[in-house]
Amino acid sequence: MATRRTKKWLHVKERKSKFATRQATRSEILHVEEEGYIAPDTVDNEDERIVDLTQADIKSSVDIFSAQKRFDLQLPLYGPYHIDYTRNGRHLLLGGRKGHVAAFDWQTKKLHCELNVMEQINDVKWLHIETMYAVAQRQWTYIYDNQGVEVHCLKALDRSLHLEFLPYHFLLAATNEAGYLSYIDVSIGKKVAAYNTRIANGNGKCGTSVMCQNPSNAMIGLGHAGGVVTFWSPNQREPVVKMLAHKSTIRSVAVERTGTYMATSGVDAKLKIWDLRTYKCVNEYRTASTGASALTFSQKNLLAASYRDIVEIYKDLYDEESSSTELPRYLVHQCPNGSSIASIAFCPYEDVLGVGHDRGFVSLLVPGAGEPNFDALEANPYQTKKQRKHAEVKQLLDKIQPDMITLDNSVLSEIDRKAFVRKQDEKQKEFNFVKPKELIAKAEKKKGKIGKRLARKSQIHDAKLKEFLQQKQLKRQKTKK
Amino acid sequence: YDPDLHPFEVAREYTRAMNAVKMERIFARPFICGLDGHRDSVQCITKHSTQLSLLLSGSCDGEIKIWNVAQRVCQGTIPAHNGFVRGICVIPDGEAFYSVGNDKLIKRWTMNNYETPAMTIVGKHVFTSIDHHYKNPQYATSGETVSLWDEQRAQPLQTFKWGADSHVRVKFNPIETTVLASCAADRSIILYDTRQSVPLRKITLRMNSSTLAWNPLEAFVFTTANEDYNLYSFDIRYLQRPFNIHKDHVAAVTDVDYSPTGKEFVSGSYDKTIRIFPSDKGHSRDIYHTKRMQHITCVQWTSDNKYVISGSDEMCLRLWKAKASEKLGVTRNREAETLEYNEALKEKFSHFPKIKRIARQRHVPKHVYHAKREHKTIQDSQKRHEANARANSKPGSVPFVSERSKLVLEEEE
Repeated sequence: MATRRTKKWLHVKERKSKFATRQATRSEILHVEEEGYIAPDTVDNEDERIVDLTQADIKSSVDIFSAQKRFDLQLPLYGPYHIDYTRNGRHLLLGGRKGHVAAFDWQTKKLHCELNVMEQINDVKWLHIETMYAVAQRQWTYIYDNQGVEVHCLKALDRSLHLEFLPYHFLLAATNEAGYLSYIDVSIGKKVAAYNTRIANGNGKCGTSVMCQNPSNAMIGLGHAGGVVTFWSPNQREPVVKMLAHKSTIRSVAVERTGTYMATSGVDAKLKIWDLRTYKCVNEYRTASTGASALTFSQKNLLAASYRDIVEIYKDLYDEESSSTELPRYLVHQCPNGSSIASIAFCPYEDVLGVGHDRGFVSLLVPGAGEPNFDALEANPYQTKKQRKHAEVKQLLDKIQPDMITLDNSVLSEIDRKAFVRKQDEKQKEFNFVKPKELIAKAEKKKGKIGKRLARKSQIHDAKLKEFLQQKQLKRQKTKK
Repeated sequence: YDPDLHPFEVAREYTRAMNAVKMERIFARPFICGLDGHRDSVQCITKHSTQLSLLLSGSCDGEIKIWNVAQRVCQGTIPAHNGFVRGICVIPDGEAFYSVGNDKLIKRWTMNNYETPAMTIVGKHVFTSIDHHYKNPQYATSGETVSLWDEQRAQPLQTFKWGADSHVRVKFNPIETTVLASCAADRSIILYDTRQSVPLRKITLRMNSSTLAWNPLEAFVFTTANEDYNLYSFDIRYLQRPFNIHKDHVAAVTDVDYSPTGKEFVSGSYDKTIRIFPSDKGHSRDIYHTKRMQHITCVQWTSDNKYVISGSDEMCLRLWKAKASEKLGVTRNREAETLEYNEALKEKFSHFPKIKRIARQRHVPKHVYHAKREHKTIQDSQKRHEANARANSKPGSVPFVSERSKLVLEEEE
């Protein structure tokens, strides 16, 4: 019922929200940092490509502080290393297959703890904060304090192959050797769900360790032996999305931070980029023989892929203009002594890629990988102890319940039309008479000739603006050099 | 602000709104203290016109007590009347106050002298209430008739009469200071203007009104507390129907008072509960009750908009918070910001069913709960009968009549 009063109230609300968005865009002036990049010196040498740069070249041409971030840890005894960075990119966790676990602040090289758990380790993962981490050991999963004290033994996550932590829901998800995907709420210690993920067509005899997380909607993506990628939520027994990605086993899956793109790589030597809104393949590339054993996206949409002992980083993967099947390489690194790579991870707010391999750990410089401006209320790399304590409390208070995990995040903010219709029907049954309530119908924009013309005009205007901004940026890069 | 850095915006805000609403319920402790001392049930309360912490209450054994609410002590007791003290009113300067009682006397007292009244006037009939003009040195009493008195005279300036029934209550309009209204025992409400010699208008309702209160910020709005368990808000420009019906009590409503912001009012009723209503909504936003509190005779909202005072049959005055979960005392800046943020969240997500349920949840005394259920069954069956009649008769022969237009039986000039 649109009375004059409610109309006025709505008008006031709209004005306030417009003001709020304007103020939010104005606050972008506070983003003082800019992301890094490599600009080829085209004036001197025409044939120079960025791909040919080695880490030594990069290290010698950056400042000392950044050069410190390029280091090698030689740990030849304890097997291939799984790595994990905390959410604020400050602390690093190394877990060697033969049982060695070390947690340290990788920028100051201050060691928190180092222990040997005397068992095979399948995966390590930081929990919401740098004082707790989970180790998927052979039999069960354990949670350790950052002093190395064993805090919990999670018997619900037995024989886990891969761990994922959903930070906003405090859920630890783990895939099993027997093919079960389990979720545990680490704030209250309760098992939320456990589902059998073996595909019904009999392909999966045992569990898959190919697992990734969609950070924008907290879905867990698994890659299966038949080339199928499935997405799971803790509310449903069946996978929410099931897509046939490759014609053979999937070797790795990765989802980009905003949840729009997914990269999959299979044994058929193909790397495909998918648009997750339409579930269509955007780009298809040819890779080395058996596909990338690990894929990960950075915050600025660089993709890192590891092939046995080489790690390649790609840029501009989903530019629609390029139609080649050649991967757009940005940087390449080969691990010494041919040690095969076990896991790779980009450090969140830094231009650094961490690589865990057979004989230790290597930290590589990748200009332009990390998000330059962090929001200290979300993840603060320069957290003091007090700030960490307060942040933990706030995080726990804002913990989202697992039953709010949906494929489409905007469901909560829209009008629930079905429930409205259902309520009206119920009332109609109880009494014969129901005061008819109107639901605001979605205004369908009918585009006549003029409307189409206007739409085309605005498209052209946008394209021109984009071009102009790109030109400006190139000019700025040239002058900076 | 980069939205990519902040995923799950709506879900997180929803969680915060849930927490805010739950915390509001956790901290909802409205009762502050009881003021003991009267030896018979409290009949009327008045707040002082200029001093925030003073309160005057009259009881059925003829005593008037002056309370200092901030210190929770009784400053003085006056054995004022033989019989009930029916009404007290303070003059706008705050120097003196008047009281009327069952012994047909009007007494004027000065604030410091509690021994003898400054003036006593003997009337012809029992006075039921008294109210002072907001500007001029005049006051009006109600009894058999409504009389307008001057402070210096011993005879009334004017006597308004319409019909033969006695009047229960008279109230001056705080903004249009020449207008006053009274509730009469023949179920009617009469409007007067002091500049005229005859009353302005009279409306007759279905049941008797026990009292009325003018909105201190909107000149033309008054709310009456009726014995058919409802309160009605009228606009004096259009008295044919009330512009709002406030339903929630389960017994006759005995007193009503507006908050100084004019946005809410408090009502006490015979069903031992106090309810706080927003002035534009039809249902209460809060209910206060205690096992020890019996039928409520009078309520007042203090002038600093923070507290509500109720006087009841069991000789006790009670002090309550107007906002049940409000923090009394100094709030720091950050705290105030968080509280404001919580309020905004609660408003934004107020339509989500879980949040609505928690925000609405109040523990209600058993007799009220059962009575409400019974009323609802009665109302539902009436609606159903009407709907059936409409469905089974010629279309248009059973029209939709709104409840508001059914209320006022007749209006006369």
